[in-house]
Amino acid sequence: MSAYDAIVIGSGITGGWAAKELTEKGLRTLVIERGRNVVHRKDYITEHKPTWELPLRNARLSVGTKGAEEYPIQARTNQFRESNKHFFVNDHKHPYVEEKPFTWIQGDQVGGKSLIWGRQVYRWSDLDFEANLRDGHGVDWPIRYPDIAPWYSYVERFIGVSGEKLGLPQLPDGEFQPPMEMNAGEKLVKAGIERAFPGRHVTIGRVAILTQPLHGRLPCHYCGPCERGCSTGSYFSSQASTLPAAQATRRLTIVPNSIVHSVLYDADKNRVTGVRVVDTNTKATREYYARVVFVCASALGTARILLNSTSSRFPNGLANSSGVLGHYLMDHHFLVGARGRIDGLLDRYYQGNRPNGIYIPRFRNLGDDASRRDYVRGFGYQGGAGREGWGRGGGEAGFGVELKHRLQEPGGWSMGMTGFGECLPREDNFAALSDQTDEFGIPVLRIHCTWGDNELAMRKDMAASAGEMLEAAGVKDVRTYDAHREGGLGAEPGLGIHEMGTARMGRDPKTSVLNAYNQTHDVPNLFVTDGACMASSSCVNPSITYMALTARACDYAVGELKRGNL
Amino acid sequence: MNRASISRRQALQQVAMLLGGAISAPTVAGVLSTATRRAWAASPQWGPRTLSAAQLELVATMAEHIIPQTDTPGARGAGVHRFVDTLLSDHYPTEERDRFLAGLADVDARAQAAQGKTFIACTPEQQVALLTAMDEAAYPPVRIDSARPPETWFFRRMKEVTLVGYYTSETGASRELRVNPMGVYRGDIPFPASGGREWS
Repeated sequence: MSAYDAIVIGSGITGGWAAKELTEKGLRTLVIERGRNVVHRKDYITEHKPTWELPLRNARLSVGTKGAEEYPIQARTNQFRESNKHFFVNDHKHPYVEEKPFTWIQGDQVGGKSLIWGRQVYRWSDLDFEANLRDGHGVDWPIRYPDIAPWYSYVERFIGVSGEKLGLPQLPDGEFQPPMEMNAGEKLVKAGIERAFPGRHVTIGRVAILTQPLHGRLPCHYCGPCERGCSTGSYFSSQASTLPAAQATRRLTIVPNSIVHSVLYDADKNRVTGVRVVDTNTKATREYYARVVFVCASALGTARILLNSTSSRFPNGLANSSGVLGHYLMDHHFLVGARGRIDGLLDRYYQGNRPNGIYIPRFRNLGDDASRRDYVRGFGYQGGAGREGWGRGGGEAGFGVELKHRLQEPGGWSMGMTGFGECLPREDNFAALSDQTDEFGIPVLRIHCTWGDNELAMRKDMAASAGEMLEAAGVKDVRTYDAHREGGLGAEPGLGIHEMGTARMGRDPKTSVLNAYNQTHDVPNLFVTDGACMASSSCVNPSITYMALTARACDYAVGELKRGNL
Repeated sequence: MNRASISRRQALQQVAMLLGGAISAPTVAGVLSTATRRAWAASPQWGPRTLSAAQLELVATMAEHIIPQTDTPGARGAGVHRFVDTLLSDHYPTEERDRFLAGLADVDARAQAAQGKTFIACTPEQQVALLTAMDEAAYPPVRIDSARPPETWFFRRMKEVTLVGYYTSETGASRELRVNPMGVYRGDIPFPASGGREWS
């Protein structure tokens, strides 16, 4: 079949970026997507639908309810609702084996999870890139902040990020559009926390949502539910941003409904030559060829493809001479924090649905007095304040005219926050091929992942510190919470939807899969730029780091291609 | 013309395109509600799929007591009973559906015990008295959740689905409350400390 300059596996956040960069640099590029096509605007079938047009009124489709029958895994996340279930994978079609509770949330369409992601974007700092070297967990990152900083800027200028500059070394500032505004409750809590805890900061979330026009995309119109798709392209998605840029070059081809079975490898030349796919409609097998292959299939999807790409040279998976492929799986642990009631401010309100909350940057283990003996690394908080709505009536006595009149007015203020904690890279957290296959004849993953002592010790501090800060800010009835249940569901690995680390970067080919440019140590024309590449997890939302690494890797790959090295 | 103004013009064109032509933003709500009013109008063919006619009437009657007609329609006018039938048919797991139906039966059993007739056959005053007793049991003055008697599950659930069904209906969301308009976000604005309407 036809040959391309480059093949990109996956069309989500990193696949879209690879497509844009490679086509803009002159490469005829084929993007292969497992899921169906989703056309920008046209296929956002629930966008701006008033709730009364949704038969279940946008019910949360939890596990076991009708409407979630085909989604026993996806239904575990609170993101899964009547209005956006069509952007999640059918679990019966794409199963995996849970050796320990692990929730694998997957998209299954062009655009991948970029349509439903959380849109929070924070730069890493050298506190993160040096962490493995400093405390000995994992392998040393082969890059430092100055290597990636210009690529963060490059990405931010293209995707559009709104946020506030803070000047903090642990959370570097970026190229920001004007920040969204905090509400009165958040301003009150911010003032209280910053007064009681010098060095801690409460800021508005840094989000890949526009507050000014950018490249033909419109600023946010504050309808609220981004996860239904955005016709004005106000939040970053592959559909709104990278894929149109790639299409404009006329060098892009996208084939949806094609699941990659394996990457083809030529042992004589030590190069990959293309991919073998299975058509998800007809089950027919096809092959595509190219000079360079970028695997952007998500951390676990990428591991699965490479593990299934075996040869006499790589019997345990392509580019896996180190044996670490599939291992060092990480996620952020969360759903631990505190909430409470804010008295007063009944003469303040807000207008519009802001798709964003507040952020409290990491303040632990910065090498100062706030360092802890009971765990390493750190965490940040996301949260927000608001006035209670009509739903409060379900928890209060009374009915009739009195209740109806009471619920006409907004209720009191409350404030909540949840921590997002760093997870250590551990060899015994892994994904491997099971002996079961899916309907396309591809072995499915078995996943074995647990939180370790470090994460569990950190969670205690995450709950306590959240409670302590809210109380110091004058919040009443503060209650801490921790959704983690040992061995069960609640805050199990995977639920953070920040899974990463299965094909890590490193300096040593014996202990890592990728070099400093996301190129496999073993095979020069094979690159991995999605979450699989991560050698540690930091505590901040990871997507913008994947984007920056992808753009950087594309720049390197095209240069090497031109130099004749691939 | 500078770049910013070009962007703004393009922006306005995109908005116009989205709305299907050159109409101004303030009319969007009106356009939507005309279309949706048509969509939501109870069709003459509508019939319950889980509830019997008597159960449907029981749900509608209880819901109307919880959110009655005032200067705006109440739960019955907003079709809460139809929403409840949809939930029971298309969303609730079987056990939960059966528990809800058992709760409805229990309401009639309470009415029989107190008045010797079904809930529907009771006078409005008798119905309110029955619901008041259920409400007081479900929401004791000191909230200790674990101590709440299990038979109060139904009334709390009934109240919850009534509120959801009402305030997410077009009537509840746009006439009783106000639909939060698209377009701008103002994070911290003055508001009357009493008498102001909340966003639906």
